[in-house]
Amino acid sequence: MKKFNMPLFISVILLSIFGIIMIYSSSYIWASFKYNNPYKYVINQGIFLVIGIFSMLYISKIDYHIYEKYSNKLLLICLILLILVLIPGVGTVRNGSRSWFGIGSFGIQPSEFTKLGLIIFTSKYLVNNDIKTFKNLFPILIIVFITFGLIMLQPDFGTGTIIVMSIMGLLFIGGMNMNFIAKGVIVGIVGIIGLILMAPYRLQRILSFLDPWSDPLGSGFQIIQSLYAIGPGGLLGMGFGNSIQKHFYLPEPQTDFIFSIISEEFGFMGVLIVSTLFLILIISGFIISKKSIDMFGKYLSYGITFQIAFQAILNLMVVVGLIPVTGVTLPFLSYGGSSLLITLCSIGIVLNISKNVY
Amino acid sequence: MFTKNIHSRINIVLFVILLLFILIIFKVFYIQVIDYDNLYSKAEDLWSRNLPVEGDRGNIYDSTGVLIATNETRASLVIIPNQVTDKEETAKKLSEILNTNYEDMLKHVSKKTSIERVHPEGRRLNYEISSKISELNLPGVYLMKESKRYYPYDKMLSNSIGFVGVDNQGLSGLELTYDKYLTGSYGAIKYFSDAKGNRLKLNEIYVRPQSGMNITLTINFDIQSALERELNNAMDRYDADGAWGIVMNPNNGEILAISSRPNFAPSNYKDYTIEEINRNLPVWMTYEPGSTFKIITLSASLEEGIVDLYNDHFYDSGSIKVGGATIHCWKHGGHGDQTYLEVVQNSCNPGFVNLGLKLGKERLFKYIKNFGFGTKTGVDLNGEGSGIIFDVEHVGDLELATTAFGQGVSVTPIQQITAVSAAINGGILYKPYIVKSINEPETNTVVLENKPVKVRQVISNETSIKVRDALEKVVSLGTGRNAYIDGYRVGGKTGTAQKVSEGKYMVGNYIVSFMGFLPADNPKVIAYIAVDNAKGITQYGGTIAAPIAKNILLASIDALNIEDSDGGTEMRYTYLDKKYYTIPNVIGMEVKEARKALKNFKVEYSGTGNTVIYQSPSEGVRIKEGETVRLLVSE
Repeated sequence: MKKFNMPLFISVILLSIFGIIMIYSSSYIWASFKYNNPYKYVINQGIFLVIGIFSMLYISKIDYHIYEKYSNKLLLICLILLILVLIPGVGTVRNGSRSWFGIGSFGIQPSEFTKLGLIIFTSKYLVNNDIKTFKNLFPILIIVFITFGLIMLQPDFGTGTIIVMSIMGLLFIGGMNMNFIAKGVIVGIVGIIGLILMAPYRLQRILSFLDPWSDPLGSGFQIIQSLYAIGPGGLLGMGFGNSIQKHFYLPEPQTDFIFSIISEEFGFMGVLIVSTLFLILIISGFIISKKSIDMFGKYLSYGITFQIAFQAILNLMVVVGLIPVTGVTLPFLSYGGSSLLITLCSIGIVLNISKNVY
Repeated sequence: MFTKNIHSRINIVLFVILLLFILIIFKVFYIQVIDYDNLYSKAEDLWSRNLPVEGDRGNIYDSTGVLIATNETRASLVIIPNQVTDKEETAKKLSEILNTNYEDMLKHVSKKTSIERVHPEGRRLNYEISSKISELNLPGVYLMKESKRYYPYDKMLSNSIGFVGVDNQGLSGLELTYDKYLTGSYGAIKYFSDAKGNRLKLNEIYVRPQSGMNITLTINFDIQSALERELNNAMDRYDADGAWGIVMNPNNGEILAISSRPNFAPSNYKDYTIEEINRNLPVWMTYEPGSTFKIITLSASLEEGIVDLYNDHFYDSGSIKVGGATIHCWKHGGHGDQTYLEVVQNSCNPGFVNLGLKLGKERLFKYIKNFGFGTKTGVDLNGEGSGIIFDVEHVGDLELATTAFGQGVSVTPIQQITAVSAAINGGILYKPYIVKSINEPETNTVVLENKPVKVRQVISNETSIKVRDALEKVVSLGTGRNAYIDGYRVGGKTGTAQKVSEGKYMVGNYIVSFMGFLPADNPKVIAYIAVDNAKGITQYGGTIAAPIAKNILLASIDALNIEDSDGGTEMRYTYLDKKYYTIPNVIGMEVKEARKALKNFKVEYSGTGNTVIYQSPSEGVRIKEGETVRLLVSE
């Protein structure tokens, strides 16, 4: 058996280690204020990181075809969990979304598992079905729609978007007819407009990104605070630990906007390094996909990589003010135990696939 | 084939991903490099908290560099409520030291604000109080430098300078007019804080406050001091209702001294009435000028050539009939036959009525207006009055007659002194001013400079020379004798005007005045003095105001280094007056000889011997007859 793909492994490890360092740097002020314990977040994340890395290494040894075999069951479990989490008393509300199973101070989001579960399911579906015809495309779209619907009931627009878009990315390389894509884009636009009409706060979010200073204390607040972190970072940054914006200016700096703090402390150089690591990860993942010996491995490694890429891009574009605030975390870097764990497990799968390449 | 298709689509996706990453990196580059300054300054505003440091208010100097208004360093109590750990204790201690209400102080220290100024009870604290506060070392309690307006000479020039309020803002006078120049800008000690207001361990940045601009006045400190002193004396001696005076350079309109009574102490302006602190009498007050106004009639008559001062005669019977009314001369029984020069010397009312009638109302009023009466002079002091003069169309002979000797018109002191300046300086009316220049404090760059403003030529230089000559005779030979200064040529004119109340002349209540200048042949300084309702003395300008003006002119001689002059008209002595004699040199003489040489003086000597070795005063000094000369004799 071949060894797994080293560039992917190293970029993931470097991102994770950098992530844990930045979670400490960005969160200790907030953590000492909220929990009177500056290490609160870094310890939580550290535990998940250690478990995640071991899981990744372990999973990299498991033949990925097992997921093909159990894909239906995996998706079913995910969907059941998604329904369960909506029940008050079972699921808990954090940050306005009922998307958590709370275990003490730890929290697990079933939507994170669903992201992986649905990619596995779709990969298998693509292996077995030619989606050039609408008849074959339709069922998978329905499944995606149901999943999206369940997540939107929480509601978690960011995760919903990631799930839909990563499946679309999969269907795109799976040979989806360009006609459908065009129609899908139209449906998507109509859908977005519909969602905006359903909840006007989304429109405000959209407007706030165009001119955050129009409502500096309301919808523009986060993006302004993000720009105040990134801007003063300059070329070389203010130095590790020297962010000012993490001093309560940017709320929960260890989560969605951790990239702002990275930019503030490490400047443009830090941004280039983080981007490079992500690009190495993405390119490695795509190379693995291209070289994969079977179609399931091809789809699965591509799907996982694409999802990480899409989520990273979505987060970065929000943080730098290119798109409205969506509430998406940055893979490997943002605080979030279950997210990190699942992402590392997914990388484990890709690493296993990388062992079986031409 | 299908796989190839997949791979090409993966390439498309990768291409899009790369594009998006490039877009993100470009955006970050824009934010961090191109928009850096903008965002950094905005972010710094967000992070930094400014502890305000007040800039000094500009100084006010006299023309010789004497500080008339400056600042004292004080402290201001500033609280950063977020940093105050024990609100109750802090409030208790502060309220004890400041002797204020505990509840109010508790509100200050608990206020939801980044920086709280304890106003007004915590402003401009002196050293004693502020050191008590700083000794406590209370967290979140800061003392910031402030300055308090300080007037080293207290009441001097108070009505013109004005005063400042608790925020050092000018509230009246020059402090108000030039407030925007005098006000400094706030600097700050910038410290960085988190969003909750707690101080971050980052270096503080000191932003230096900018001091306000300095003003230099045309005022001469020595003359001003003399004027203040003389007005105080006059108030004490005569228990007057008020007194005021202006000293000016007649050749350019610079005000050398200006003051009035009542005045006030600017640092305690709250202890005075609104009238006392707001009225600057020398520019605000309007009243009948009385005889000093005759200078205007005289100038007009000479300029129009209707009278030969030296050869034309006028017979004063004691009264003159005009338009059915009889106007009396101030001297009962009249002055008899006089030349017009004597008319001026004697301040003879019927004589001036005659001049007025000869001029006619159009000509007289044209000169009155040209001399600046009826309109504000435009002096750079606020609250100036414009006075009232008759509308020419409604002037009958009686009004013309009374106007000619200074009744029935209402003028301000500043109008009178500028008009008379024009009459004696060669005929040019200047706009009076008190601010010479405004300078930027650090570089001393001139920001604003007032130059003499020529308003118009009112009379010719030839006429002006005649006016000066006539007014010199008033002092040496006429009613102004009390302003005579030996060795100097002094010109002047007295004035005594009845005050008007509710349309009627008040009985026994006069404003007496004197307008004097020197040297009479080439005036360098002019002084106007008025005393309102002097008591315990016959109210004549010559007896009350002239001696005051004399003292001020004497001070001006020293202050302006005016040289004594020859060729003046010697004073005509009356039996009351003592003559002046020049002391000869007696050093080296024998005592007997010396006594002979000093026959007009009282001689005292000390020492033993027969030869004078020292004399005081020395040779050449002029003293009054009978005054003492001291000699030191030796073997």
